[in-house]
Amino acid sequence: MIAVRDLVKAYDGVPALDGVSLTVPDGEFVVLAGPNGSGKTTLVRQFNGLLEPDAGDVLVNGTPVQDDLVAARTAVGMVFQHPRDQFVAATVREEVAFGPRNLGLPNDEIDARVADALDAVGLDGRGEDRVAALSGGEQERLAIAGALAMRPAHLVLDEPFTGLDAPAQAAVRDRLAALNAAGTSVVVVTHDLRDVADLADRVVVLRDGTIAADGDYESVHERLPDLGVRQP
Amino acid sequence: MTDLGLSYVPGDTVVHRLDARTKLLAQFVVALLAFTWSDSLALPVVWAVVLGAMALARVQPRSVLTGYALPFVLLAIATLTRALALGPPWVDVDAGLAATLHSLRVAAILLASAVYVQTTPVSETQAAISRLVPGKPGQFLAAGTSFVLRFLPVLLADLQSARAAQQARLGDQRRLHERMQTVALAGLNRTFERADRFSLALKARCFAWNPTPPRMSFTRADWFVSLGFAGLLAAATLA
Repeated sequence: MIAVRDLVKAYDGVPALDGVSLTVPDGEFVVLAGPNGSGKTTLVRQFNGLLEPDAGDVLVNGTPVQDDLVAARTAVGMVFQHPRDQFVAATVREEVAFGPRNLGLPNDEIDARVADALDAVGLDGRGEDRVAALSGGEQERLAIAGALAMRPAHLVLDEPFTGLDAPAQAAVRDRLAALNAAGTSVVVVTHDLRDVADLADRVVVLRDGTIAADGDYESVHERLPDLGVRQP
Repeated sequence: MTDLGLSYVPGDTVVHRLDARTKLLAQFVVALLAFTWSDSLALPVVWAVVLGAMALARVQPRSVLTGYALPFVLLAIATLTRALALGPPWVDVDAGLAATLHSLRVAAILLASAVYVQTTPVSETQAAISRLVPGKPGQFLAAGTSFVLRFLPVLLADLQSARAAQQARLGDQRRLHERMQTVALAGLNRTFERADRFSLALKARCFAWNPTPPRMSFTRADWFVSLGFAGLLAAATLA
């Protein structure tokens, strides 16, 4: 479980998060919505210690994130908004193996994880392809595979549908649904609920650094336009 | 990542299959011979070795020219600058010839490095350096090299897109120094932004100074090639 308590974060004195508290239980599919600049990315980057809060606590499986960053980053897989930002290798296989190699796992285990992760995102058999040669949708799925190879309990995706055409969006959605059904909790950051509303167990809306709505889709959908979120 | 001559290109050629340590040794020997072997045979031999390696590795000359466009242009400018004089007889043949030979030496080394980079995954380079240089200095050098090899293609792609964006808005109609200024400033900004995002991506996946090295094996082909380059070095020393 990811637990956030009274989180405060500011950039050069400008508040980005102002007392946010939130829990993401294991296995839940959460959509974190809100207009641009509402603090969504700032919030999720604290789930695995990529950002440090000014005040408040972030716990992953009961342990404060900053006490064990490797455990936090293993438990919380992160897919960045622009997948190209996270690619560090020239080939698909090398890219997915990067995280497990950093964990010091044996090569057999790394091979197994790479195969499983590529299979989970529908890129099996593409290990020797060049990353640069993949389409936008395939790059998004590769970024997910790179995170999955760490075997995270939670997968956080920042605007995963941006710039994808309809078939690519559908492919990514299908993979996320399958991963969630297999027990991985999924947090999708978006400003457009049309992408994932039907998959969400819960919708959390951030506005001006605070939680403006939190509940299942039916309970929050009427307020969404006022909160700057596009409805399905 | 981008499709330039400065990143790994998957393949199954004999050069791809060589151990990274063999290829590092070969590069070292080529560089040493290019600059220290003074015999008239030196350059032809070095170039024959490099072109042979390019052919065996199926390295596309165009990708190398793209990847190393800037150094090649600088070499050409340096050679011309040395060959041309500001007064009669206007052309200094001896100086030009000497500069050409120096440029050919540097170009051979650049091509050899292109063969290495295009046939060797970064993780194998990192592992090879860690094994060749023991202890913390080896880890530091290996990780530093892997940073450069991972980051440089990304950076060059950013510079290319900055230049393309400039051209799309008729920036190429401006004077040269204005164009250079615009691309340089945009490039510098992007470099810092990209470095931040790159660092974040490494941290998100638990960057380690001593990751699991990939499987590496020193085969008979590696012994054969290594002995060949050692023999070449010995022959040049004795010549």
